Amino acid sequence: MKKDREIQKSYKLSHQILSLTGINFTRQTVIGFTEMTLIPSKDSIRYIWLNCKQCCVYRVTLNDTLEVSFQYFDPLLEVCPQDSKQRNLEFMNKSQITGVTSVDPEMGRGELLIVVTSEAQHMIQEGKPLRVGVEFSLEKPQSGLHFVVPSTEGTLTEKAAHLFTYGNENSARLWFPCIDTWSEVCTWRLEFTVDDFMTAVSCGDLTEVVYTQDMRRKTFHYTLNTPTCAPNIALAVGPFEIYVDPFMNEITHFCLPQLLPLMKASSKYLHEAFEFYEELLSTRYPYSCYKQVYVDEAYGNLHSYATMSILDVNLLCSNRIINQVYTTRKTMALCVAQQFFGCFISRQAWADAWLTTGIANYLMSLYVKKHFGLNEYKDWTHSELLEVIEYEERFGGIILDPSSSPNEPQNIPIGSPNNISKDTFYFSVKNPHASSPHFISVYYKKAQLIIRMLEFRIGQELMMQVFNKHLSLALIAVANKGHPAGWSNMLMSTAAFTKAIFTVTGKDITVFCDQWVRQGGHSKFNMKFLFNRKRNIVEMTIEQGYIGELGIRRYVGPLVVWIQELDGTFKHTLQIEHQVSKKEIVCHSKSRRNKKKKIPLCTGEEVDMDLSHLDADSPVLWLRLDPDMTMMRAVEVEQPDNQWQFQLRHERDVTAQTQAIDALNKLAKQGAVTTEMRNTLNAVLENEQCFYKIRCRAAHCLTQVANAMVANWNGPPAMMQIFRKMFGSFSCPNIIRQHDFTSLQNYYILKTLPVAMAGLRNTQKSCPPEVLGFLMDLIKYSDNSKNRYSDNYYRAALVDALAASVSVAPVQHDPATITSDTLTEDVRRILCEVTRYLNLEKMLPCYKYTVTVSCLKAIRVLQKNGHIPPKSDIFKAYATYPQFIDVRVAAVEQLVDFLPHHGTREDLDFLLTLAETDPVPRVRFLTLVALAQHPPFLMGQSHRLDNEHLVERLWTFMNSGQACDSRVRSAVMDLYYALYGRRRPSCIPASEPALVLNLRKPPNPPIQPPITVLVKEEEPPPPPPPPVKLEPPPPPPDILTDPLSEVKAEPLDIPGEVIFAEENNIREDVEVFEERIEEVMAVKSVTPSVEGDMSESTTSLPGDSHDSQGGHTGFEPDMFRTGSADSHGRTHKNKKRKKDKKHKKHKKHKHEHKDKLDKLGKFIQEENLSSGSSNPPSPASPSASASANLSVPTTNTNPVLPP
Amino acid sequence: MAAIPSSTVESGTTIDPRRKTLATAVSAILQEAGFFGFEKAALGTLTEMLQSLLSEIGRSSKQFSEQALRTVPVVGDVVMALLELGINVTSVQAYKQRLSNRMAVSTPAQQVDMKQHSVLQVGDKKPHPFHIPDHLPPFPDTHTYCFSHSYKQPVTEYEAIREKAAAQKKDIERALTKFAAKTSDTQTLFLTDDKEFMLVGVKPNPKAYLDALMPRDQVFEEEEERTRRKKRKAAQEEADQQEEKDKLNDSQEGELCNPYLRPVKMPRKPKVKK
Repeated sequence: MKKDREIQKSYKLSHQILSLTGINFTRQTVIGFTEMTLIPSKDSIRYIWLNCKQCCVYRVTLNDTLEVSFQYFDPLLEVCPQDSKQRNLEFMNKSQITGVTSVDPEMGRGELLIVVTSEAQHMIQEGKPLRVGVEFSLEKPQSGLHFVVPSTEGTLTEKAAHLFTYGNENSARLWFPCIDTWSEVCTWRLEFTVDDFMTAVSCGDLTEVVYTQDMRRKTFHYTLNTPTCAPNIALAVGPFEIYVDPFMNEITHFCLPQLLPLMKASSKYLHEAFEFYEELLSTRYPYSCYKQVYVDEAYGNLHSYATMSILDVNLLCSNRIINQVYTTRKTMALCVAQQFFGCFISRQAWADAWLTTGIANYLMSLYVKKHFGLNEYKDWTHSELLEVIEYEERFGGIILDPSSSPNEPQNIPIGSPNNISKDTFYFSVKNPHASSPHFISVYYKKAQLIIRMLEFRIGQELMMQVFNKHLSLALIAVANKGHPAGWSNMLMSTAAFTKAIFTVTGKDITVFCDQWVRQGGHSKFNMKFLFNRKRNIVEMTIEQGYIGELGIRRYVGPLVVWIQELDGTFKHTLQIEHQVSKKEIVCHSKSRRNKKKKIPLCTGEEVDMDLSHLDADSPVLWLRLDPDMTMMRAVEVEQPDNQWQFQLRHERDVTAQTQAIDALNKLAKQGAVTTEMRNTLNAVLENEQCFYKIRCRAAHCLTQVANAMVANWNGPPAMMQIFRKMFGSFSCPNIIRQHDFTSLQNYYILKTLPVAMAGLRNTQKSCPPEVLGFLMDLIKYSDNSKNRYSDNYYRAALVDALAASVSVAPVQHDPATITSDTLTEDVRRILCEVTRYLNLEKMLPCYKYTVTVSCLKAIRVLQKNGHIPPKSDIFKAYATYPQFIDVRVAAVEQLVDFLPHHGTREDLDFLLTLAETDPVPRVRFLTLVALAQHPPFLMGQSHRLDNEHLVERLWTFMNSGQACDSRVRSAVMDLYYALYGRRRPSCIPASEPALVLNLRKPPNPPIQPPITVLVKEEEPPPPPPPPVKLEPPPPPPDILTDPLSEVKAEPLDIPGEVIFAEENNIREDVEVFEERIEEVMAVKSVTPSVEGDMSESTTSLPGDSHDSQGGHTGFEPDMFRTGSADSHGRTHKNKKRKKDKKHKKHKKHKHEHKDKLDKLGKFIQEENLSSGSSNPPSPASPSASASANLSVPTTNTNPVLPP
Repeated sequence: MAAIPSSTVESGTTIDPRRKTLATAVSAILQEAGFFGFEKAALGTLTEMLQSLLSEIGRSSKQFSEQALRTVPVVGDVVMALLELGINVTSVQAYKQRLSNRMAVSTPAQQVDMKQHSVLQVGDKKPHPFHIPDHLPPFPDTHTYCFSHSYKQPVTEYEAIREKAAAQKKDIERALTKFAAKTSDTQTLFLTDDKEFMLVGVKPNPKAYLDALMPRDQVFEEEEERTRRKKRKAAQEEADQQEEKDKLNDSQEGELCNPYLRPVKMPRKPKVKK
């Protein structure tokens, strides 16, 4: 299919020149020129589509000589018609995917349509390069290019003003016109003219730097001979300090002034990553250089581009900082891995993203395994697995490659996964700009796990050979200069990957792909067992009881079970075939506990165990299912608590220990606790052989256990003695030693224990006074003067501990009457420390303000428990713009936490304003994420914040507020989903405003967005109970809703006009009025012909391919499917939304026939409106769906007016 | 002058003993004259008058004696003074001789000096040795005649030191935060005004990352670590050094090759720029 598409594309990119000249920091503008060399694959091309957003395009030329006309239309400026009354996500999602698809470069479409007029046809000849030049400019870009100009005094250098490009997935179009897909690779020449004190860092080799004539600016010339796609091109400009890596001269690091020492410290291990990957893949690093740029206000932690990475400046840390190092090194390792897979080897389409990202993440995980240890690696993998499982069970199974459905007939009888998956999400997974960012992040995690699974199937060595093969082929392709035809090996796709595995290993992984890549979900096992003493067997029941639930599917195949018996570990492979499988496993050991003998473990070690608590007859110590996490699975094992304890104490695998702790936690919550449990946890906590994270978890679990057995707890509070033993001074154990963090294990335990202890509660449900006194002493005696490391994280942990010790106030005062005098003594002490820490941070800030972050959380905890009055202005002050990002995000989280109980409309508005207008894109995003994670109210709960105002605001926000940053737009969708689900928010009246809207159509604007037409059609759907309700409401609402809708509609109209304004802008920028006319003319005259052409020559245009493919690529199959589903289930009929005119019409016809609704007038109108372009979406002329959006705005206007 | 009596009368504790005696005398005279009571103010005035009279007598007597080139007045001088004031000297004699209901004014008791002199006491005074009688003055402070160390033996107890260090640190921090809270904008945690838990206000910080990444809360000694490391590696050092040198050379060369560090080229002949 992909190959088909390639053939169908009528041109191929071979080279692109990008030159940015007027980069102005004070006005935040960029003027540039780009030239693409296209190689046509046939002798006539009528249209060229480019991706381009928010740019002003001045001029488009062909071969430098011929100026041609162009049209610019961005459907995402307003995702759905603003005056539509639809307020449910399904509608938004459909409109969005239509919009996104209509400009999808994978389909050969774009926002910028260049019309190749007949006088230019002579330039087009198969195989003869055609150069398309575009002059453009950007002014105060909303997204894609970020100017950081701090509002301090001084010159640009002193301000450390800089800029960098960023974007959600393929977003290069935001800063220069290009073909913005991963599959269009080409070679590059890049030129950037910047002020002489600035450095421009970009992709490829810096060939030279030349002064301009006036000697006040410099031009950086880059060439990139490796074919690279536009999304992998980036730019960073700033007064950077330059540091050449002392170990590898090819690496250059860039950071903002004053940070050089930190950068040296942070990057000293980077070369190890290179060496590691080169050795692992037995391939040289494919580029000749590598650059790392650290920028402020970054969009994400890291973004990889060809030969360079743009990283967040906050990844930097000095040698004194402990916790950050892990993240920083992981991030850098991932950057390097992405150079191999992701940058050098690009992907064929979005559906293949799982391969490049998955492999890069997988390689990084191998780096983690080598440098951070097996425990860290396993624990991390386990946590990722849990995260993916949690997501899938909440939102639905993730399909890695949705481009085609499994070839194999499904063995799942009911509700074929296909259907489920299609409707699983409230967003579309087919395009990154329409997907939820949360989904994408989990998707990448799953991709990594699937690659890991594959490693189990074919072995790591062979796996590396496969990677090596891909890289080698790509390297050969690079040598194939200037011939795009030979570059297909630069791209990776599921099909190519499967093939490569087959050639290298001889193994066919199609089945694997069908199961795990083309289908979503994971399997879930519930295991119970019984020991049969007579027969000396374990009777095991493995049940897949959740099949059919969200994200869970049935598994058939082998499953590994490990049984630890007295005589050792025995591994069994069971065949799972049915929903409930009963297996009998013969035990090897006779129960012979009397003989004191060491017990061998799976690692080969032999250990002594205290078997006094073991069931006298059973030789089974513990059982594990799929211990190596060889597949996507959730496992519930039912074991008695003593087996869990054995597992925790003696199993060496961290995942098993984590599982055991989780199980004990669960038991503690049920109140089933024993002294042995406590002893086990104490032993683990004290065991220095144990992985530190396990020990920390054991501490928290111990808190739960101790709280559950508080009634009969004797002696000092839990963990107190251990703490004193580990950290108390020799002469007086109640005073903590001076800090020495050279032992990392102890450091983490030192940080954890106070928090765990603060969670203890006595019978009055408050923190025991001894513990509070202990915490106060810790704070008092904390002395870091002799330490080599900073104790900022420890201090933050102490504040966290203080917060954890707060319990609900026994007497809830009226907030207005609470003063500092009414506080209880304990709260007073806590508050005193918290304020002192917080104030001290103002003068002596610690690394990344960790203490401030913890203090803000602690204040919120005190508020929440009724000790101090709930006030939001404290947090608002910390959340406003020029503050450190971690502090801002923490403050935002506290504000979000504030909303459900005390939040006022101002608080919510504050947050939404932040999300809409904050200068830092990442904060906008994170605010929305925080809101979506902790929605201010739950669906169906009437809450004072749940009102129409909010709905309208959110709707406008996602509809037209974030045209450029699709990550933010999708995050608003996430929030909307969290608040209202997929349906119409209950606070919005279910009205039928169709006619009203029609009447009110403003006559003035010359160009009417086509979508208004759609609106009318949408109107019928609103309420699910159709006929009964429909009949009565319409007439009264007509009048009743009129004022309402007017009120609403007024603001709604504005965005629509904005669009016009922008279009006008673009045209005005062209300067010449004639040109504008020309354009309009072109639109009028040409568009119909577009369609004409298409229907004539069905194969010629790129759009056709996907349409004729039908089910596979576009959104169209979706529509078909829903359509047919609708016709089956009548209740949904009305809910259907029609995006596409053609579709609409098509469906409408159906409707009419079936429903016999008497809306003939309307339909006639529609027919009239769309007559020019509308045909039923027959496979023959389907490409119009995409072009419709381009052409309709202009073509429709005239017809609209007459009625 | 009028203020003085009232004040003296009112504030009995600070009263001048002389005036007190005078007042007694006046009272005695009044009683002899047949009065049974007095107003405080009247008594004060009378006392004042008597004091003025006596001082005038004294002054005049002194002047007369000085006129006669004496330094100490004799009876004659007093008589002269009395005469000059117009007081009948013989009536004085007669007054002295009076018999009926004569009141006796007791001699004023020796006034004890109430004021505590703060004597700087350093160390304990030594008691007298047995051969020195007790009525002799006590020894002076030892430091004035004995040799002693000028400092105390430091406290070496670990717990106490930690306690002190912690207290000191806490005091410094508290003082600093209080100062900051008083000198800048503040936020309050309560709905009402509150002085106890003031939060220092948040100031916009456009380059927050610099503060956050290069913290100033602790000062680390770079040197110490370096030396320690050197000691540890003392054995390998030489080899390492050689290697390091090589690496250094390498990296310097590398820097020269690095395109970003190469000198910027001069503009070429005017070329067409887009």
